[in-house]
Amino acid sequence: MFVIRAAFIVCAVALTSMMFGTLVPAQGAEPNPVQQTPAQQASLQTLIQTCGVCHGANGRSVSPTFPNLAAQTAPYIELQLHAFKDQTRADPDAQAYMWGMASQLSDTSITDLAAYFAAQPAAPGKGGNATLIAQGKQIFLAGIPEREIPACASCHGAEAHGNGPFPRLAGQHAPYLYKQLLVIQNVLRTAPVMHGVIKDLNREQMLSVVAYLESI
Amino acid sequence: MISVRAALALAATLLVCLVAMPSWAVPSFARQTGMACAACHTVFPELTPFGREFKLNGYVLDNIKQVTGIDLADRQTLAINSIPPLSAMLQVSYTHTAKALPDSAIAGALAKDGEVLFPDQVSLFYAGKIADELGAFMQLTYDGAADHFGLDNTDLRYAHHFAFGGAKADDHHLILGLTLNNNPTVQDVWNTTPAWGFPYSGSSVAPGPNASAQIDGRLGQSVAGLGVYGWLDDHFYAEFSAYTAAIVGGAHPLDSTQSNVAHGIAPYVRLAYEQRWDRDSISLGVYGMDTRVHPGNGTPLQGVTDRYRDAAVDAQYQFIGEEHFITVLTTYIRERQTLDASVIDAYASNRQDDLNTFKLVGEYSYRRTIGGSLAYFSETGSTDTLLYALAPVVGSANNSPESRGYITEINYLPWLNVKLQLQYVGYSKFNGGKTNYDGSGRNASDNNTIYGLVWVAY
Repeated sequence: MFVIRAAFIVCAVALTSMMFGTLVPAQGAEPNPVQQTPAQQASLQTLIQTCGVCHGANGRSVSPTFPNLAAQTAPYIELQLHAFKDQTRADPDAQAYMWGMASQLSDTSITDLAAYFAAQPAAPGKGGNATLIAQGKQIFLAGIPEREIPACASCHGAEAHGNGPFPRLAGQHAPYLYKQLLVIQNVLRTAPVMHGVIKDLNREQMLSVVAYLESI
Repeated sequence: MISVRAALALAATLLVCLVAMPSWAVPSFARQTGMACAACHTVFPELTPFGREFKLNGYVLDNIKQVTGIDLADRQTLAINSIPPLSAMLQVSYTHTAKALPDSAIAGALAKDGEVLFPDQVSLFYAGKIADELGAFMQLTYDGAADHFGLDNTDLRYAHHFAFGGAKADDHHLILGLTLNNNPTVQDVWNTTPAWGFPYSGSSVAPGPNASAQIDGRLGQSVAGLGVYGWLDDHFYAEFSAYTAAIVGGAHPLDSTQSNVAHGIAPYVRLAYEQRWDRDSISLGVYGMDTRVHPGNGTPLQGVTDRYRDAAVDAQYQFIGEEHFITVLTTYIRERQTLDASVIDAYASNRQDDLNTFKLVGEYSYRRTIGGSLAYFSETGSTDTLLYALAPVVGSANNSPESRGYITEINYLPWLNVKLQLQYVGYSKFNGGKTNYDGSGRNASDNNTIYGLVWVAY
């Protein structure tokens, strides 16, 4: 059964990657200044500054309420911004903060913002409880076969750097990740692949995984 | 006798100034930004770090459809919200003091104790963007007890963002702004300074202490100020503003029938530092104002003036968790009064007086729904025979401005824009005394006040 679920995950990854095949992960890519007028560049700068108020000047945020965006995969940022804009991502913080913020973004702005934040240097990992981190690493890399929970790394990458539409998790604030696991598990945030993957993950296991991810 | 009457009038004026509580947080901003109140407020009207940034950026962040215009050079000539960011507020209150106040007309009789004000206040707001980089917080308030409608706290802002330093010229970020407002510290973004300080609401009919510093509410809506400020790297704040008299109502041009009329330009300075980490933030600051004032109130607005030099320090700590919210606020204001005009006009007996104001507030909220506050406050300073004259309730038997006590509050917010509040103000000393402080047999604790409030904003 575990093998079947793992195979399903791999297929889902492959399928999703194909769907977003043209959206090459944009780490290292800068917004293309050649195609932008000065007015567009100024507008993008204003948008970046606005995002930066919560997410940090270069996408590395201070408060764990707001996720780091630096080095996040561009396809994931684009997907989320569209989901905020069309209100299909509806967890409490999405409604409180992002529905408004994304409501007036054009498709071009979304693409440019995603490229900008994807190109920023990642936030460094933050140490924590060594035992918790070790447990989290085990779950992240190998899953929990007896509970049929596959390895997180199979989608998010062995280094948790993300992969296309699957987000980067490395260095992300643990409280933010923990809250996402909870809202996904409670189906307050729609994430079809993740619903199946984490439905049997308990709170302690969640806390260990996010501690590990924050540390790398 | 005239001087006693004048002192009484001054005391009454002070009382009115003291009980005029500030307002508020507004759904206009939520309408404009598309963001819930929680983005900018822990529990309204207290600001979060994002709320401070929103204000410092000129209230202009918008997420609704715009009506725009450009000229032939592609310069934007208009950018306004398609739906104006308007909102309204209603406050209904109940006040009960420990001992009823004397009847205002019949000697020996008592006024009714236990009063409902419906409304305590009703306000209309325009709060939001006016143009790119230009925004406003404007409040029109009907005051139930005073039965008048007028311009309340107002702050117009222009803010421009600069990035500089480093290879990509984005290592440092600076917001440079202008503020045009009608109440010193209404432009401030920390809830330590007077205009937006604790308590955020209080009874307008219960007696209040006889003394407060000029910067602590006495100049609200009676001055106009233009200021320039800078906010660097989300850490350093500096502001310089200049205020001048701009009294609403009464005789115009301003004349002897007005009172506490600012003379010339009163400079206001503010410096602050904020550090944020994890879910916490801490700020430390100083602020001050140098105000020359004509006492007026029957004396000409000419010749020598009184001078009030206010110097203050403040600090704030804030923790914004998922479920728990904690704020600690404190400020200490030292006012040096040089009362040349008041001595001549027989409003004060000393040429030099001091007044010291201290507040320490702790607030807690659980899920922004149920919370409480506990505050300690004190006024201390020089005794002055005329300034703090003997009078029933509002006067002082020993001519002292000393008052101290505590405020406890319980708040319940069934929705983010509805606050049900129960407040208790207890005095251990009132106008210089614990017992018979006014020489008419009233004790400080007789002024202890229960204040219940229904506060909705929509």
